[in-house]
Amino acid sequence: MGKYECAVCGYIYDEAQGIPEAGIAPGTQWEDLPKDWVCPLCGAAKSEFVKHGEAAVSIQRMPPTVAGAHTDMEEMSSAQIGALCTNLARGCEKQYKPEEAALFTELAGYFKTVSTPASAGADSPGFDKLLGLIEKDLAEGWPSANAAAIDANDRGALRALVWSKKVTLILKSLLTRYQKEGDAILENTGVYVCTICGFIFIGDAPPALCPVCKVQDWKFEKIEGGS
Amino acid sequence: MSKKYAVRNIRLCTKDCLCLYVCPSGATDTENSIIDVATCIGCGDCADACPSGAISMVPEVYPPQQVKTETVIGALKALMQSKAEQETIAAGLPGKLAAAVEKSNHIMAEDIIREAGFMLPQSDNTKAFLQSLVENKQPEGFPKEVVEKLIKIFNKNEEEKTMSENKTLDNLMDAFAGESQANRKYLAYAKKAEKDGKVNAAKLFKAASDAETIHALKHFEVAGKVATTADNLKDAVAGETHEYKEMYPDFVKVANEEGNKAALMSFSYAMQAEEVHARLYQEALENLDQTEEVFYYLCPVCGNIEKYRPEKCSICGAPGKMFIKY
Repeated sequence: MGKYECAVCGYIYDEAQGIPEAGIAPGTQWEDLPKDWVCPLCGAAKSEFVKHGEAAVSIQRMPPTVAGAHTDMEEMSSAQIGALCTNLARGCEKQYKPEEAALFTELAGYFKTVSTPASAGADSPGFDKLLGLIEKDLAEGWPSANAAAIDANDRGALRALVWSKKVTLILKSLLTRYQKEGDAILENTGVYVCTICGFIFIGDAPPALCPVCKVQDWKFEKIEGGS
Repeated sequence: MSKKYAVRNIRLCTKDCLCLYVCPSGATDTENSIIDVATCIGCGDCADACPSGAISMVPEVYPPQQVKTETVIGALKALMQSKAEQETIAAGLPGKLAAAVEKSNHIMAEDIIREAGFMLPQSDNTKAFLQSLVENKQPEGFPKEVVEKLIKIFNKNEEEKTMSENKTLDNLMDAFAGESQANRKYLAYAKKAEKDGKVNAAKLFKAASDAETIHALKHFEVAGKVATTADNLKDAVAGETHEYKEMYPDFVKVANEEGNKAALMSFSYAMQAEEVHARLYQEALENLDQTEEVFYYLCPVCGNIEKYRPEKCSICGAPGKMFIKY
């Protein structure tokens, strides 16, 4: 009997125990769990689980590379500058500087309007393109950035990388499910986003603690409308 | 350590109001629940007293940010760029999930850029970023005035920081003056105690007088007032000249009018001696590189200084044998 661990939230599925309250009898093998089974804690797909005890939790390494990186401000896109501005607004809010926070928010608002995406036509790359970028980042972006952060002994960078990678795994799970099942996965349920790390939760109410960054549930924001 | 002030997290505040009871300045007692920064003296009593942990002390000046390596910055920016792109793509897609993905990517982009050197809004990186926004050509509709306002606020904070540093400089010079006076005062008291035969008191006054000299010299040095010897000589000439030309003549006149003969004599001796000092300092400045040794003779009565032992003091008439050789 083996155990399998969720790479996003650390939940462990124990084959010996099963999950009787969810109708999964003790002794149910990992392979026998339905293909569309998801982590009961965070909603990650089965593919995001790794055999417990195997070295899969260790951080992937890849030579750090700066290829394609834009280090100059002039080369940042409006969306990037927008994120930088809202980050600075948050920094001001945390320091109880409402005037500065409001100014950065206003600036971010401007960059948001100018980075409006091309309208989603019928041939819009949409979800496929999103998944493509996610796959590429998971294969190259994180391993390379992790190596850079480890080499520089940069705990802060590593923290942001661990969180964003876990959140990206969730995005991957959700987008993959959405492609197969469509709007059905959102029927009669809420969609919540953790305002600290970006974790997305689909369910009636957000978890008491965010599975990724461990912030309390009131920091989640419910996504309204948008149908 | 930088000066701090109190801030209240309204979400945590349980209105126990202990902060109002302990606040010595009334800064915590406001109708909008925001602690008045201008009134707060930074004592921290409210934060200590608050039972719900709603008050924190935050610094006026934040420490410099952790230095990031170019490689880390490059790798993070590459990821952040992808997140921003995903945010933009998701913004063009319909449905709640797309809206959530858009938001999620934005939050990740924020967090990643934060770790790439943009933690503090008042950092040099932020200032350089704001500056680049104003300097680069921007499309019409760009809210330049917003960026300029931010630059102005951050520059103003810098000025205030410099001002508070100037305040310390003033304090150092005040302390220097106070300690210098205390040194002479205790010396006078020591002389009196010696005369009265109070040996122990005299000893303590002397030791304390020396202690004040130590303090005074340190304050003066920390204030950055000790320059090169040439500059110090120039400063000495200026100081002595001011005293004999402007300060003492007035003092002499008033003492004369008021008929205070002792003061008149004390001022007049000092005035004449300072003129000599100014001249000697000027000479020393002109001959700063002279290697031949010069001797100075000090009159212990009036403070006159001569370059030879005189028959008697040219200012007060004290006999030359009393002069102290340097």
